[in-house]
Amino acid sequence: MKLIIIFFACAAAFGQPADDRKPDRIISIEAERFTYNPARITVNPGELIEFVLTSDDTGHGFRIPSAGIDVAIPARGRGEIRVRFQAPASGEIAFECSRPCGAGHNLMRGTILIKKASKKS
Amino acid sequence: MVNFKWQTVVTAFACSSILFAQVSPDFELRLADLENKMRQIDPAFRPSIGTETLEARLSKLEGLFSAILSKPQPAVQMSALTAPVAQAVPAPAAPPPSANEETRLPVAGYMDFHVNKDRGDPFRPDFHRFVLLFGHSFSNRIKFWSELEVEHALVEGGEPKGEVALEQAYLDFLIKPYFNLRAGMLLTPVGITNERHEPPAFNGVERPFVETFIIPTTWRELGFGATGTFGKGFRYRAYLTSALDATRFSAEMGIAEGRTSGFDASFRNPAKVARLEFAGVRRLTLGTSIYSGHTGFRLEGLNPRVTIFDADGRYSWKRFDGRALFANTWISQAGQLNQNLRQTFGASPNLGSQMRGYYFEPAVHLMPTKLRHDLIFFTRYEKYNTQQEMPTGFRALPVFNRSAWVTGLTYKPHADVAIKFDYIFNRNASSVLKPVDGINLGIGWWF
Repeated sequence: MKLIIIFFACAAAFGQPADDRKPDRIISIEAERFTYNPARITVNPGELIEFVLTSDDTGHGFRIPSAGIDVAIPARGRGEIRVRFQAPASGEIAFECSRPCGAGHNLMRGTILIKKASKKS
Repeated sequence: MVNFKWQTVVTAFACSSILFAQVSPDFELRLADLENKMRQIDPAFRPSIGTETLEARLSKLEGLFSAILSKPQPAVQMSALTAPVAQAVPAPAAPPPSANEETRLPVAGYMDFHVNKDRGDPFRPDFHRFVLLFGHSFSNRIKFWSELEVEHALVEGGEPKGEVALEQAYLDFLIKPYFNLRAGMLLTPVGITNERHEPPAFNGVERPFVETFIIPTTWRELGFGATGTFGKGFRYRAYLTSALDATRFSAEMGIAEGRTSGFDASFRNPAKVARLEFAGVRRLTLGTSIYSGHTGFRLEGLNPRVTIFDADGRYSWKRFDGRALFANTWISQAGQLNQNLRQTFGASPNLGSQMRGYYFEPAVHLMPTKLRHDLIFFTRYEKYNTQQEMPTGFRALPVFNRSAWVTGLTYKPHADVAIKFDYIFNRNASSVLKPVDGINLGIGWWF
């Protein structure tokens, strides 16, 4: 009986593709040599974030190594790229430019800071 | 009896959901995808595609997931499990990158082709810079970056023509956002242009005069140091680098020719350089740099100190851009240095004890922002004096008290391609030796 219920729950979950869900928050990030703005983002645990990524100059990359995300941000005037990321329960997650963009490329980085879950009594 | 009925209903519903799942066109594909992911987690796992029912395969997966979750997990794996797969969704209004017609090469680089003309002189074409950049990530924490440059298209042994130069080559050791280590051939972090010298990144065919005569550009030295960010938009770089060579300073070029660029450099008295930047407000960057180093490693009994202070900023608001920079250079023992160099080379370079320069550059984007093309009109005023203050017994020459208005257009058919034109009104304080105006055309690109 328990197995059937678990199976049913799993089947229901599989039937709901992740990208159909409405993001909890949309955050715009503008990239430029050699910074992201904002470069430090605070999110809630478990939040589904949709990043809208644009560039003010050349094409850049947006890579979150711990989540397997790596997308190319088009150069200025060439549109935007959207990428979704579900925040884990806690921690600080680094993101970085993955497309060579000049002398400061290696340090073009930012941080996603997961807020600590508040304990309700 | 009631309990039996309830179980019957649930079982029937579950069976119907199984049936539905079986007839769902992509259910099996999703299951296979999950099995593949499980295989990445547990290489020993073997999916039983075609030999077991979907239910049996799902049960096996459930059992494995339960077993994994029941074990204590290291932090890294937990974060991998709790950070679900992300999706890259191109914006409906924007072309996806794959439709962007742009191909990526395994190397990056930039090129700079100029045609310069001073009044009364013929046009001089010059393939000024051909630069290839190579980077490599050994891991998420150890990264390499380099820049190899050919200047003026041709290099011949012993001839005063072009140059092949290692402009950058360093390793970054990424430790914490606020503290990372860097070592190798480094760009000295002073001013705007030295670390942002890609042709589409600045207006004007040539780099600003102030960032040529007061702050040398491109200025690279061997060294090591720390880099990082403090949060709220503050970031820093602080290095120890090889020293400038005072024997090559001159009244006209200031300290620019004193760069060793890593060749036959000295680390006996390493220079200290630090830069602090604030980029916490969108499209605003403010920066300040301090450089201090002894420069007498080729001199006998004399070791003048060069100190540079710089403050600069860039800002964009709607269609308007602006950038400004102020820099001051001090040379200690400048009088003794002039005498020493006169004894060595037969003529005094007449070096000043202070050099000063500043510029400001407003610019406006003339084309609608929706267009892919960009046309920028800019005007830059520069004032630079390589003999701002003279040591006792030496007199400043007005010809080195210079200024310039540079005005022109930058057309960008692509953000990485800049076709440039500018006209330079050169001025100095001399009533005898007047500079001539110049016209510059250029194409620069980054890839």
